[in-house]
Amino acid sequence: MTTATVDAARARKQRRERRNSIIRHAILLAWTAVIIFPIYWMVLTSFKDASEWVTWPPYWWPHEPTWHNYAQIFAFAKLDPSLSRQATEQAFSIWKGLADAAFVCTAASLLALLLGTFLAYSISRFDVGGKYFRHMILTIRMIPPIVVAIAILMYYAILIPYATSALFGVRISLFDTYVGLILIYTATTLPFVIWMMLSFIDEVPYTLEHAARMMGAGRFMVLRRVVIPLVASGMVVTFLFVFILNWAEFLLALTLTHPEVTTLTVLLNKFQSASEGRLYGPQAAIGTVITVPVVILGILIQKHLVKGFSFGTIRK
Amino acid sequence: MVELTSRTAPLRSDTEAGFLRRLGAWFAQERVFRLIPFVLVEVIFLAVILIPFLLTIYISVLKWRANRPFETAVFAGFDNYITVLANDQFWLAVGRTFYFAGVAVILELLIGFVLAMVVSQTTRFKALYTTIFLVPMMIVPVVVGYNFSMIYVDSGPLNQILAPLSDLLGTDPRIRWLSHPGAAQWGIIFADVWQWTSLTFLIFLSGFSALPQQLINAARVMGATPWQIFWRVQFPLLKPAIVIAIVIRSMEALKMFDPVVLLTFGGPGTSTQTVAYFLWEQVWVFNKFSFGAAASILLLLIFGFLIFIGIYMLVRQRNIADVARAA
Repeated sequence: MTTATVDAARARKQRRERRNSIIRHAILLAWTAVIIFPIYWMVLTSFKDASEWVTWPPYWWPHEPTWHNYAQIFAFAKLDPSLSRQATEQAFSIWKGLADAAFVCTAASLLALLLGTFLAYSISRFDVGGKYFRHMILTIRMIPPIVVAIAILMYYAILIPYATSALFGVRISLFDTYVGLILIYTATTLPFVIWMMLSFIDEVPYTLEHAARMMGAGRFMVLRRVVIPLVASGMVVTFLFVFILNWAEFLLALTLTHPEVTTLTVLLNKFQSASEGRLYGPQAAIGTVITVPVVILGILIQKHLVKGFSFGTIRK
Repeated sequence: MVELTSRTAPLRSDTEAGFLRRLGAWFAQERVFRLIPFVLVEVIFLAVILIPFLLTIYISVLKWRANRPFETAVFAGFDNYITVLANDQFWLAVGRTFYFAGVAVILELLIGFVLAMVVSQTTRFKALYTTIFLVPMMIVPVVVGYNFSMIYVDSGPLNQILAPLSDLLGTDPRIRWLSHPGAAQWGIIFADVWQWTSLTFLIFLSGFSALPQQLINAARVMGATPWQIFWRVQFPLLKPAIVIAIVIRSMEALKMFDPVVLLTFGGPGTSTQTVAYFLWEQVWVFNKFSFGAAASILLLLIFGFLIFIGIYMLVRQRNIADVARAA
């Protein structure tokens, strides 16, 4: 082979490489545009004034950028006259929704985290529930939530009031209460917690616990002083993941609460079904407010997302 | 495990502290300790999942609507089940759900696979692309539904992008996408694809990054073309990831509810009612509790069968992976 042919071959290869690289980046940039666009449009609309929400042709950037929509949704009480507009007279305070969502999600995630971690430890060390128990737990998550919602509605709104009035003489309903929503969120996210924590606890060497036990530490002591510190970061990741799931939950919140407890997703939906003209601006502002915290949390735990969403069936 | 420090409780302990210590010692026995979390969690599942289901079965054999007092309900046997089975809308909704899920999952798998392959081959901006592609998964589905409802609106950006095309055809560019049955269905499917391609992408990306590089190099040295390397080496090794993506995504896609509520409310007509939406409407809008209970039990049976298949496939993949790891 002469040098000339080698050079020609190398040049051909380089050209092909460059062409492939261009094609690859074209594909990636195209999908990036698809991903970014709806998000951009939401953030854009949240800064648009009422007159710019629906125009033809639509505005691709706010001609008169305004904080009005945010001022409106973060208003504490009745709107200041300067903030109210004809189409949007009512105050759309999201404080109630924000507080409810934060409280319910935090409580449910913490409860699920504590119980789930403990059970994951027990499954990992003692094989509680048999070999296929971990997979049986998966079925809970795979049941469609609407089926659960119908059952829970009847349970909360019929059986529990009947039972409590028969037993204690007071009608207690869990429908539309914090406790009711927290309980159902805990039950539906426990499988995720157990699976994620299993993958973390399985990695803790058993010999460490053994050593601690030899030195006379009790079982609770071992759990608290040896295992928990070693999986603490895993617990944080699991908590954030479950928090995101609860934060995004819509069907159960929509069906099991009204009108007292209002999470953010239900709040956003209320605007959607408003019959007299939709309020695109405040809606976009609420959407942005809901989205930003979870996207930040999600990026923080990005590496572990696959573990959560695929129930740890993918292992690295 | 051998009981290393089998503590015996102090024999004489009249004080409360002694009682607590004895209680603690009892809990610390392995046979008790291992069951504490199990019992706690099972109690929650029992209270929040199982009892409600038994109640649902009971209500499904009554004749009752929520606008009448519960005491007036009479036993109706399997009437409700027959009503559901004879209800065309129920079956249409089931069929539609499978249609949406099928189309959406196929698209998500294809796009996710191509994207993961391309990203795994690129060297520049790899982390940036990965982060951007994962964002949709973290966005609240309700917000996704809302976003797309704004994009599909008749004077929205989608119509503007398509405006040159409609000018060419001489039609009005301000198309009401969500008022046309077929377009509304595709609108919902696309919203789902937009959001959940990120999950299939993530699963496939971890599959690609786990591929053993030596095998691919060996094949290349032996003169295999890129095409052969892909189909004969990479693709078979990615099978577990593909199965997992199919199972997880189909189970989730069959629950589709949020985008339907946010985008179309089941309309126009009933053309976008998924089975979840259909049941929601029957129970929460029309108060047909017994009907809803019977339908949800039937749905649970259908899903139970699918869940069994899905979990069987997952367990099998896991066992194969364990054997491969041990080998």
